[in-house]
Amino acid sequence: MESLDDVIDAMIADRVIHRHRRKWLIAIALVVVLALVILATGGWKEKQGRTVPTVTAPTTVTAGKWEYSFTKAEIRRQKKTEYSDAEAKLRVYFDLKNIDDEEHQSDSLTGDLLRWVPGNGEDLVDSNGATCRGELNWVLVYGLPPQSCYTEFKIPADFSADMVEIGVLGEKYEGDDSLFGANDDPYWHNEAPVAVVQVEKPVVVEDKAGD
Amino acid sequence: MKLYRPATILVGVLFVILGGITRLAAPDQVHDQPNMIAVRGSIGEPVKYGGDSTVTVVRMKVAKAVVEENHEDKPFETDGVFVALEWDTVRGAKAPGNIGATLTADGGTVYTPIGGLTDSGIDFPDPGFAKTGSIIFEVNPTDFKGLKLILRPSMFWNVLNTYAEIDLGVPSEAVAQQMVDEAANEYVLRNSVVRVASS
Repeated sequence: MESLDDVIDAMIADRVIHRHRRKWLIAIALVVVLALVILATGGWKEKQGRTVPTVTAPTTVTAGKWEYSFTKAEIRRQKKTEYSDAEAKLRVYFDLKNIDDEEHQSDSLTGDLLRWVPGNGEDLVDSNGATCRGELNWVLVYGLPPQSCYTEFKIPADFSADMVEIGVLGEKYEGDDSLFGANDDPYWHNEAPVAVVQVEKPVVVEDKAGD
Repeated sequence: MKLYRPATILVGVLFVILGGITRLAAPDQVHDQPNMIAVRGSIGEPVKYGGDSTVTVVRMKVAKAVVEENHEDKPFETDGVFVALEWDTVRGAKAPGNIGATLTADGGTVYTPIGGLTDSGIDFPDPGFAKTGSIIFEVNPTDFKGLKLILRPSMFWNVLNTYAEIDLGVPSEAVAQQMVDEAANEYVLRNSVVRVASS
């Protein structure tokens, strides 16, 4: 059974809440407005300096289960036609070797392991994976010699530069935390930046539609 | 209102104890995946897969290049060798699920099928039908001995799955070397064919 004390406590609490209700509402509204303003102005992004080494092509970079030997870059422009807008792609050539010493498994390169760094704090652009032997997402076998491959990034149609930067990410061979019931067997994931490769003087190439 | 009545606490304690007891009662699994049936076979022999369906690896061909039937693309080439496995599947009444195929060798390399070919892979036709086709792997010739085809579906933990291991008959380095040396110049990948199952 409720005692008189409890009833009085409840009444006082009720009063207190009502007395400060407007202040509370204003405070909550302020938080919401602040969140909206931050969202509208592009979000809360942590600005970080570059923490990985910058190297210049031609160079060899080892990242996770892949070994890349970067050679050259091309800017491939496609003229505006009646049915399509002008567009451009950045094509970066490299020799790719599967060095998966953990699983020794054939695999194809995933697109998010190579990223174009546009500079000026803009977001990085994922690649489309590796095209080897004329085939996108070609499967590379562990133990075979490196394959010459290229990857492509979508870039603005009027893009031009003396030097382009490609971020190379490497996956780690580790398991998930089994604390919450996940399987803790290791596998390749958790990609982290390894290096930024600068490729000097990309060649500008006119590309035919459909290429 | 009283939140912590003795009965509530008792039920909580009971759940904790029950959890502990069920962990004790689980048998020590020899296989780490208790929902897998392991099947073994060798080349030329029908292997039961997912209930009453069967997979047979009819023959293995080694080649230096692969070209698709009715395609005008230039052949795929390799620094290693291509291993083409011609298979025959018969689908039973029970749905066998899809097949993920990999090759393993004694040296520990795991080969997955090459991309870029539209008709390379293993699958099942409709119930009562049989299908023939090929699956193609790019293989490192220095790790060729003891090639085995491993078939397993993409996992569902709550269904009984089949893990099939088919020995491809490369017992020694000498045999492996001979197969690599005698690799054909080109393998023509034929389109898969579905027919009525004969038996």
